[in-house]
Parts: sequence; structure tokens; C-alpha cells
Amino acid sequence: MKDAASTTVVRSETVSEEITRIPLGFPNPRAWWLLFAFALLLLATFIISVAVLFFYGVGVWGNNIPVNWGLAIANYIWFLGIGHAGTLISAMLLLVRAHWRSSLNRFAEAMTLFAVICAGLYPILHLGRPWYFYWMAPYPNTMDIWPQFKSPLAWDFVAVLTYLTVSALFWYIGIVPDLAAVRDRASKRWQQVFYGLFALGWRGSAHHWARWRQSYRLTAAIAVPLVVSVHSEVSLLFAAGPIPGWASTVFPPYFVLGAAFSGFAVVAMIAVVLRHALGLEDLVSERHLDLLGKFLLATGLMTAYGYFAEAFDVLYSGEKQEMDTLFDRFSGAYAWSYWGAIVGNFVPLQLLWWRRVRVQPILLFLIALAVAVGMWLERYMLLVTSLYRDWLVSSWGIYHASFWEWSLFAGMLGVFLVPFLLFVRFLPVISSFEVVETLFEEDRHA
Amino acid sequence: MTGMAPTTTAETAEKIRARLCDKRGRAFWRSLDELAETAEFRRFLESEFPALASPPIGIDRRSLLKCMSVALAFAGLTACTGEPDEEALPYVNEPESVVPGRPKWYATAVTLNGFALPALGKTHVGRPTKLEGNPDHPATHGATDPFLQASLLTLYDPDRSQSPRHFGHPASWSAFEAEIVARASETARREGEGFRLLTGAITSPTLLRRIGSLLEQWPNARWHVHEPVNGDLAYEATSRVFGRPLDRHLMLEGAEIVVSLDDDFFGPGPRQAIHARRWAARRQAFQKGEGDCRLFVAEATPSLTGAMADERLVTATLRIEAVGHAVAARLGLKSASAPELSASERHWVERAVAAIRSHPGRALVTVGPQCPSELQALGLLVNEHIGAFSATLRFTEPIAAMPPDGTRSFEKLTQDMAAGRVATLAVIESNPVYTSPSDVDFRAAMENVPLRIHAGLHYDETAILSHWHVPLAHELESWGDARAVDGTASVLQPLIRPFRDVRPLLALVDNLTGVLTSSDRETVRQTWRTDWGENFEARWRETLLRGFVAESAPPFVTPEVRDRGIATPRHFEGLTVVFRPDPTIWDGRFGDNPWLQETPKPFTKATWGNVVLVSPALAEAHGIGNGDELRIEANGRAITGPAWVMPGQETNTLTLTFGYGRSRTGSLGDGLGYDAYRLRPGDSSWLIAGATVTPTGEHLNVASTQLHQAMDGFDFIRTVDFADLEPRTAPADQSPAGQDARAPTFYPVRQWDSPSWGMSIDVDLCIGCNACVVACVAENNIAMVGKDQVAEGREMHWLRVDHYYEGDPAAPKFYSQPVPCMHCEQAPCEMGCPVNAAVHSFDGLNLQVYNRCIGTRTCSSYCPYKVRRFNWFDLTGGDAEELRAARNPDVTVRGRGVMEKCTYCVQRISEARIAAKIEGRPIQDGEIRTACQQACPTQAITFGDVTDAQSAVSRKKASPRNYTLLEEANTWPRTSYLARIERSGPDDEDGPG
Repeated sequence: MKDAASTTVVRSETVSEEITRIPLGFPNPRAWWLLFAFALLLLATFIISVAVLFFYGVGVWGNNIPVNWGLAIANYIWFLGIGHAGTLISAMLLLVRAHWRSSLNRFAEAMTLFAVICAGLYPILHLGRPWYFYWMAPYPNTMDIWPQFKSPLAWDFVAVLTYLTVSALFWYIGIVPDLAAVRDRASKRWQQVFYGLFALGWRGSAHHWARWRQSYRLTAAIAVPLVVSVHSEVSLLFAAGPIPGWASTVFPPYFVLGAAFSGFAVVAMIAVVLRHALGLEDLVSERHLDLLGKFLLATGLMTAYGYFAEAFDVLYSGEKQEMDTLFDRFSGAYAWSYWGAIVGNFVPLQLLWWRRVRVQPILLFLIALAVAVGMWLERYMLLVTSLYRDWLVSSWGIYHASFWEWSLFAGMLGVFLVPFLLFVRFLPVISSFEVVETLFEEDRHA
Repeated sequence: MTGMAPTTTAETAEKIRARLCDKRGRAFWRSLDELAETAEFRRFLESEFPALASPPIGIDRRSLLKCMSVALAFAGLTACTGEPDEEALPYVNEPESVVPGRPKWYATAVTLNGFALPALGKTHVGRPTKLEGNPDHPATHGATDPFLQASLLTLYDPDRSQSPRHFGHPASWSAFEAEIVARASETARREGEGFRLLTGAITSPTLLRRIGSLLEQWPNARWHVHEPVNGDLAYEATSRVFGRPLDRHLMLEGAEIVVSLDDDFFGPGPRQAIHARRWAARRQAFQKGEGDCRLFVAEATPSLTGAMADERLVTATLRIEAVGHAVAARLGLKSASAPELSASERHWVERAVAAIRSHPGRALVTVGPQCPSELQALGLLVNEHIGAFSATLRFTEPIAAMPPDGTRSFEKLTQDMAAGRVATLAVIESNPVYTSPSDVDFRAAMENVPLRIHAGLHYDETAILSHWHVPLAHELESWGDARAVDGTASVLQPLIRPFRDVRPLLALVDNLTGVLTSSDRETVRQTWRTDWGENFEARWRETLLRGFVAESAPPFVTPEVRDRGIATPRHFEGLTVVFRPDPTIWDGRFGDNPWLQETPKPFTKATWGNVVLVSPALAEAHGIGNGDELRIEANGRAITGPAWVMPGQETNTLTLTFGYGRSRTGSLGDGLGYDAYRLRPGDSSWLIAGATVTPTGEHLNVASTQLHQAMDGFDFIRTVDFADLEPRTAPADQSPAGQDARAPTFYPVRQWDSPSWGMSIDVDLCIGCNACVVACVAENNIAMVGKDQVAEGREMHWLRVDHYYEGDPAAPKFYSQPVPCMHCEQAPCEMGCPVNAAVHSFDGLNLQVYNRCIGTRTCSSYCPYKVRRFNWFDLTGGDAEELRAARNPDVTVRGRGVMEKCTYCVQRISEARIAAKIEGRPIQDGEIRTACQQACPTQAITFGDVTDAQSAVSRKKASPRNYTLLEEANTWPRTSYLARIERSGPDDEDGPG
């Protein structure tokens, strides 16, 4: 017993050491700098694209009547969907005490945070008059006007903002004990000051731990329903519109599951890259890859059910307009996006039935990449195929994203990558104290 | 000057320094002064500081002061311009009649092909902002067309010519006057020998009087007319049958059966509004069950008339002669041959003949004025035979004046020019270098004329080849007169003083004879003074108020048929090219008018360019798709243009339209489309038999606003069978229909107080002429976006005319449907807007609050009708000053990033409400007329209070034909439609009459 306890102490020391050494002395600086330079380039693309957009107006994009919304809104939903996995992994698994989460939650949460920032920027950028975006917020004003609460957009604004706040809080609360650990190991002055400031004077007293646990679990409890509500809300952006292909009650669960699906895919991709780049194979183990693969498979199959339910609904209703839209998705001008989504989302996914595939990092990465692309195509398809041929055949039009839409998309990846790379470089990417706790618990049970 | 210096500046500086070096003390200073005077130093100084160089014309301080004092003294003289002093006084106290914000109306007219389009002009503090039809006019009754609506913009066109030009360089009027006076005295010496005047068609009594006096003064001078879209063949036909040219007048209000042989009487042009209004009167009576109204059209290319036909026969243009003969023969006209007919032709002829026979005296056979004169002559004889003369077909002496050489006038002129018999050519408001047919080399002939003068609104293709170009005043800024197509004369009074250095047309004609002091107003008054005699002032006043001279239309004549000869029909097999004026640009004269350029052309919905119409069968045979470039060759000449596959086009017919392919319209119209005049053999030629077409393999961009026109089994246009239509109109006690078509809704249902506005659009009356579209643009300050943006799907029209066809692409049915905002009671846009920018008003309007809109575009995404328009860019900020002046001050000009849409002309509603409130009365039914409603020549649009069961709009909505667009979207629209009446049964020859 005594032996076991001492080994645990030794192992916990090494675990903490292994995680905290990353911010203090980065193991692979050259690769990081290369990636970071690339991300900065993308960020510059973002700034230029936004400058052009603000100077000339939304007309620089390819949007038109009838396709009022284009890449911007498709990307908004896609980024927000990705942002769902972090919270799901951390908060939900925390509440159900699935301790294996501790190897994944920190970077998943970071990913959530930055993806939600990207998502949140899109609806503002796509406005005709972006400088008035705050009119969507319920704030006291001289005009005495409230937002129009029947609109899904008014709720979107609140939902995204809430989700961003809660995600940021949850991530920050979770990282405080680890910041203290880094602070304690830091040898350079600036590191001590930097981590010390953000560690908020954490000393690891029993009081601290008790308060911390309360707040952490409370935030988690708030975050979990948000995962469901935010994407349900986003789906109403489509479902509330009386447009064939949109007005469907299946959309809220369909969107939430799709969001989790795409989120897990991106988490899996990041996990594979990080464990390799930072040498964390022992912490993000085969078991974690296996579990991620299983989650991906499960959410993927649920999403597939959503596809099925949507098509079934349409065929069952027999409405001509709805049927036309459905068949146009199969064979119309944007059939590539429909079949691209089907293939990317569900075909490689089937390989995950085998454990051998799930624990194979490269295969898992590729499957997850296919899902991320497939889910992007799905968002694009749902948006464009419904709008470009709606009720009156006379108003049908065609939509091609312009250069400035694609450049903004590339730039937005920079907005995601720059802070994420900074996070990887300067903050503990895995929750060390939670891993230690998990190890301890496991040993005790053993 | 510096160039003259033999030495370089560096050397000069060196020299100067050297000279200074050996001077000391006082000598040094004196020397500097001396130095400054040397030429060498000055050169040096100027090369170093060019700004110090004296100007080429030296002016010293004294002469500058002299100049200034003179300028000061002369400043007071600027009031003494050549313009007459007519009630133009600045006001010290605001006059009672001019209230900023309250418009004033003046009756006037604009002209098209010389014919007056009578109008009421709305001015805001001296700026004309809108032209509307003159409801009192005996022929139009307020009907308008797109050209009338859009001519306002030509007034403000920033590309209009600004000053006289001599060899292309800006010149002064005095220089022009000096030359023209000298030339006039020389011409006078030779009694006008070598002087030629070329104009477009003229109906203006005053202009004719002035030209008459010019010719009287100079008996050897000649006047010529060139009008590319003309009725020469119709005159040939009447000359043949009656022995003299006559104008025909279709009395469509009394014609229960109209058989049109390739006659597009609803088509664009000066007669469109009048024909539409007359036919609408017949149709409305028919809808009530009074008499019949059936239209048989045989044509090769879809026209607005063909689209309204009950029975449309698709047949080659050259087969129409045979069809005409068959009709004549079956009606019992002797000596008409009975040619072989195809099954469809025979069927059509039999039905048309049966219909004519069952409606004696109430039928009319019309033949298109572009048809061969033999066929037109046959048509006249048929009409005589069926008793149409004095009932449905009337004649007058020609309304437009005939030039001395008649229909060969232009050809004669070109021959004389080529032969060097022309010394002075004055081209007035005509652009023959562009519009002349390919067989007439006017451009080359022009080179032989020693003095060429062009007077017009634009510095166009003819102007650039002229020695002198002088800018004319627009019709809305000068006095004049003209006759409408029925012959009723209108006095054109200016709505605004010319804001450019331009001259009125009438003054310019007098200038040509060396008279520089004439006033256009006096000239017009003089014309009518001789007619009216003593009571002149009162009648003049009355005429200006009314806008037309009462009872000035020439009386109908009943001509005697002199020649009953019938020519045998010709036969031709193969590819035929037919020419038509462009539906929006006409003969090219509106090329610089963006309102018309951006108006989607009927059927193709193409904007900013013309297309070559090809039949679906031909397209399939050659593998042609929309936008593919075609090379069309005929008579050794070729043009290339984009194809448009047109359902209902005869297999071997290609349709070309005039007006495009121009090189000098201004900044807008250049380089758009193809120039069909290059293929046209002569001014009276409307078709070429025997052409070849080959796709070049290139693809051209056609900016069409409606990419899909097949109805695909939907019921956007509903039709009712004539036999099923019982009752024909709503019983007086029946409340408006449509309530039962409403499915339950999620949202609270509002109760509406009176008044609450709604609209009814009768697709049985809409001919798809686009007058409403342009009227809406003019009324609501709608921005034009240009070809590229239209191609992107970003046009800004609040009101569009959707066009559908249904059935076999070889011979489909055509439908037009104007689509404004539906003002849904359960509006999805209002639900979608997060910031309360899309809201409902207390009086039932779906409003867009521009300054609240942040541009999420949710409203448009949710709109099932896609009637909302978004300002993708700042579309208005860069408008020229002149264009800003054209805007309606009662309507907000929208900025970048906001959504906009039809408001039911809320500014007109507010105006009426304020007036009613001041007078303490309710708003009366019919008091508010929306811009589209006002413009509509067939009165297809009705607007009013839907809560008042007795209002005109409620009566329309109570009709059994009432339906709402996309009922299944459950939006409860306030705009509803009246179904088109069709006949399905073959045995309805008798009709209701």
C-alpha cells in the first residue's frame, strides 16, 4: 500500500513535469515557428479580406437575391459546430465522471473557445452595416427599441455570446491550478510573473480546491445545456424560415448531433497531431484514440439518422416544393455538395467499427478530416440548395462564392490557428492535476 | 523658354557665381540687381522655379486691375442673357403657390418617333421628378409606356451634350452663330440650293410650320426624314388600296374578335399605350359578360400581342401571307388564292374565320405595319369585306408629316450627298450614321458634304462625323407641340429651365435660316394663334392646363377602295431573319438611359444588351444554348450576337432587335450587344429571307433577371375556364374571397382598422409591357446597378414582371405576372428580422425601416416571393449631381447595406392621409394610386382599402377569379391576383355576345 502510494507520487510528479515542461521549454520550437508563421500569414489574409469587405460592402462577396447568405453563414454554423465538442467532452464527461476525459479536455476546450470566436465573427462580418451589430443586443437605448425576439437571429446573438462567455470561463477555471504548477516550476522571471498573474494566487490549499471544484462543476452544469441550446438555436436560423428544405422540425437535434460529430472529428485531429508533436503518447494513449473513434462513430451514425429522417419527412409529406428541393439536392447544380457530404461523413466512418483502425493515429486523423470536410459541405448544401431554388421559379438564381469569401475563410482559419498555437506553446495543453488525480484514483481502486 | 537656353542650368549657375565672385561691397549688391535683369539669370530662375515664369500672355498689375474693374462692372450684366424674360423672378417673400415639399403638376408630353406621349409632369421646387399619364387625354386616358416613364431620366442624363462642338472641340454658340449666319446668307443667295434638312418623323404643327417657311424662303432646299422604325409599308398598302397614304386606327374597344397577322399592336412604340387601353376596355367589358373578346395571332416570333392571344399560331413570317390569303378566301373574298396550309395553320384559320363570321361588324383583321404591303393591302380588303371599316378600323390622313420624297426620302438624300449635290446638311434629332440600313452608305456620303451640322441631345455617331454639333434642349425644358397617334395635339411646356448651355429645337431650326432671335414659346404660340384667332389667350391657357388641344384630332375619313387587286403569296423555305425595334432601347435612342437599359426585356428578361432569338428546335439542331455567340450571315454581311432560346419561336426564324452595338451613346450604352442595322438592307425592310447561322463557339454574358421561365407544374399563374366562370364578377353582397384560403397560423391574428391597404393584379389584363416597372423606378428612386451586377442577381427593381410559359416549347402559352411586395399579413420577413426593421404598420403595410436595418438579409432569405432587394454596395452615393436632381424627395434614398422593397408607394398614402386629415374626411376610394397602378395602360392594377367591402380593390378580390400567390406558404398576402380567363372547349364560337 505504501509502495503503491509512493509510486503514484513519483508518477504524478513525472506527469506534471511532462506537461509543464512544454510551456517552459517548448520541445519542438522550429516546427512551431513554421506553423505559427503560416498561421500569421492566414491572419494577414483575414485582415485584408475584412478591410476589403468593410470598404466596399458585402457586394464583394458572391451573394445575391435569392442566395442572400453564402459561405459566411455556412462557416458560422460549421465553426460553431466544431466548438461543441470541447464543451461536450469536458463538461458532460466531467459531470458523468468519465475520468479519461482529463487527457483531452484542456485542448478541446481551447479549440472550442477559438472556434466560437471565429463563428461569432462571421455573422457580424456578413451584415450589411456591421457597425450596428450591437442592435441585436437587448440594451437600453434612446430609440426605445428592443430586439425582435421572434427572430432566431436575436437569440443567436445571445446564444453565441453566452456560449463564448461560459466556454471561456470554464476553460479558464480549469486551467488555474495548472498555471500555478507552471509558475512554481518556472525559472525565468517573465514566466514567473506571467503564470503567477494568471494563476490568481493559487496555493493549492484545501479551501482553494473545494471552491474550485464547486465553481468548476457549476460552470460545467451551465455549459452542458448550452451545447444543446446553442446549436438548436442556430438550426432555427434555417428551420424558422418558410423555405422548402429549411422549414423542418428535425433540424434542432439534427444540427446538435452534427455539431458534436464535426467537433469530435476536429478534437480527434488535434489529439493525433498534439500527441505526436509534443511527445504525449503516454498521456493521450491508444485508449483515448479508441474512445474518440467510438464517439465519432456514434455521433456520425446519429447524424446519418438525421439525414434519413429529413429525407423521410419530405417524402412522407409529399409537398411538391419540398420534394423538388430534395431531388434537386440529389441531382441539381449543387449535387456535389450533397454527395460530398454523404461520402465524407459516412463512408470512411464505417472503418471505425474496427478497433485496429480507431487506435491507428493516421487513419483516425484522415477519417476525422473527411468528416470535417463532409460536415462543411453539409452546411453549405443545406444553406445554398434551399435558397437558390425556393418557391417561385422566377426568382431562382445561382451562387458562386467570390475570391473574397474564400480568402476570408482561409483568414478565419488563421484567426483560429494563431491563438491555438499560442495556447499550445505557452499553456499546459493537458490538465495535469486531473490526470494525476485520475491516476491516483485508478491506483487506489487497484 | 528654358529649352532655349544654350547652356545647362549647372553651367549657368556656375557662370553667375563666377560673375558674383569678383564683385565686392557696394558693387556686389548693385550687381545682384543687374544680374536679376539679365536674360540668362531669368532663364536660370525659371528653369529652377517654373512657377515664377510669366504666363504666355503677359499681364501686369495695372492691366489686371483694369480687367477686374471691367469684370466687376460686367458682373451685373450676366442677367442679360439671350433668354427671354418669362416670369422668372427670384422671390423675396415666398409665393403662395410654391411650397417646398409640395409638388406642382404641369401637363405636357414627350415624343417618340415624333408622336406625343401625353404626360403630367410632377415638379418639386422646379425639378421634374416624375411623369405620369394624362388621364384626361382623349386617346390615352392616362395610359403610359416605359419610354414615357423613362424619358425623365434623359433630361438629367449626365452624358447629354453640354456645349456646341466644332470638329469635336468645345466651341461657343456665338462661333456657331457666326458660321451659320454666313452660311445662311450664302444659301439664301442660291435660294436654298444644296441645303438639306434631315429630321426624324414629325407631327409637331409648329415645327412643320417652321420647316415649311424655311422651304418657302429657300425653294431649292429640301427636307428629308429618316426613321428606322417606320410605317412606310403601311403607307404603301393604303396608297395601293385607297390611292393615298392613310393612317389606320385600330378601334380595339369595339373589336370582339381580333385576328392579327403578325401585328404586334401591344408591342413597344408610340401606339402601345393607346392600343392597350382600348383593348383593356373591351376585355373589362368581356370580364363582366358584355360581349366577346378573343384574340387570334399568327406570328413567327413571340410578341406581347401573341402572348395575350387566345389562339396563337406559330408560323414562319413568310407563311403569314399564305395564312392571310386563306383567311381572305374562306371569308369569301374573291380572287384570293387558297394556298396549301399545314394542319395547325388550317385549324387556326378555320377557327379565326368562324369567329369573324359569328361577330359581323365587331371583328377586325390587322396586319403588322412591317408586313409586305401586298399582305397589308389584302388585310384592308378583308376588313372592308367583314364590315370593319367605320367600326373597328378607322382611317385618318397621316398624322406624321410626309416628306416630299415620301418613303424614299432618306435614300434620295444619301444619293444626292454621294453625288455632291449637298452643300449643307443639317441633321436634327436623328442619328443616321448609326441607324441607316446597310445598303445605304450614309457615312461615306457624308464625307462629300462641305458643311455638316448635327443638333441633338447627345454627341453621338452622327455628331462625331459632323463639323458642328450643337446641343438641343430636352423636350421637358423647351416649348413645342406634337400630336399623339390619334392626332390630338399636345402643347409641350417646359417643366424646368435648361440647366445647360443648350438651345430649343424650334430656335435652332430658325437659327439655320440665320434668325437668331426666335423664342420657342412665341413660335408655338404663333402657330396656334393663327388657328384660334381672337380667343387665343383663353384657349392657350386652357390647353396648357389640360395638356392637349381639345378636339384637335383629324376627323376619320372613310376612304374609297380603288384597287381590289390581290397579289399572289410568295413562298420561301429556309432561315429567315426578322428585325424588331428593341423593347426597351427602341431604335437605339435610349442607349444612354439606364432605367430602360436595366428594364428586363419581355420574355428574355435580358438587360443591358440584345439577344438573337432562336427556336428550341434550331437550338437543338445546332447545339446552341443561351448566351452562345452566333454568327448570322445574310446578303454577304454578318453580325455576331448572343443566342437566346425562345420557346414559341418559329423553327427557322431568327429575331434581331435594333438599338445596340453602338459606339457613342455616352458612358453607358457603348459596346453592348450587336448592331442589327448592319444586316438590314433598307429602311422598309423587316426581314431577310435566306440567312445562315453558325455558332462561333464563344460564350457571351447575357444579364437576364429570370433564368427559369417554365412553370414546372406550379400554379403561379392560375387560369379559369371561360365556361366555368360563373358568376363572372362578384355579387355585390359577397365579401372579399381568400379568407378561406388561409391555414391556421402560429402567430396572433390582427384585426385591421379601416383603412388597410391591399392590391389586386389582373393577370387577364396584364400585357407585360413594363410600364409599371419603370414607373416604380422613377417614383421610388430605385438605383440601377449595371450589367455585371444584374448578371450576379442583384438588380434593385421593387416590382418585377415575371414571365412564364407553359406547355410544348414549340408553341407554349405565355403569361406575365407583375410581382410587387405581397405585404403579407403573416409576413415571414417580419418574424426573421432581429432588429425590428421589418414591421407592420397600423394600416396593413409591411414596412422596411431603412435606418433600423443592419443588413442581416434574413427577411429576404425568408421571403417566399423574393421581392426584397439589398444594397450590396453604396449604389447612390456616387450619383452625378444631375441624377440626384431626378430623385423623388418624398422617398428616402437608400444607403449601403440596407434592405429595401415595395412600399405600396407609402409616400402617396401618407400624402393622401394628411390631405384627408386636414379636410377632416376619410380617404376616398381611388384617391391613392400607386405608381405602377397609375402607369398601367390596361388598368390591371387596383389598389385600395381592403376593409371596405365596397372599395374597388375589395370588389376585385371578391371575384371568383381571385387567388393569392403561393397560398401554401400561408403568408396571407395583401396583394392578390385575378386569374386569366381561357377557353378550353372547341365549341365556343358563339361566345357570350
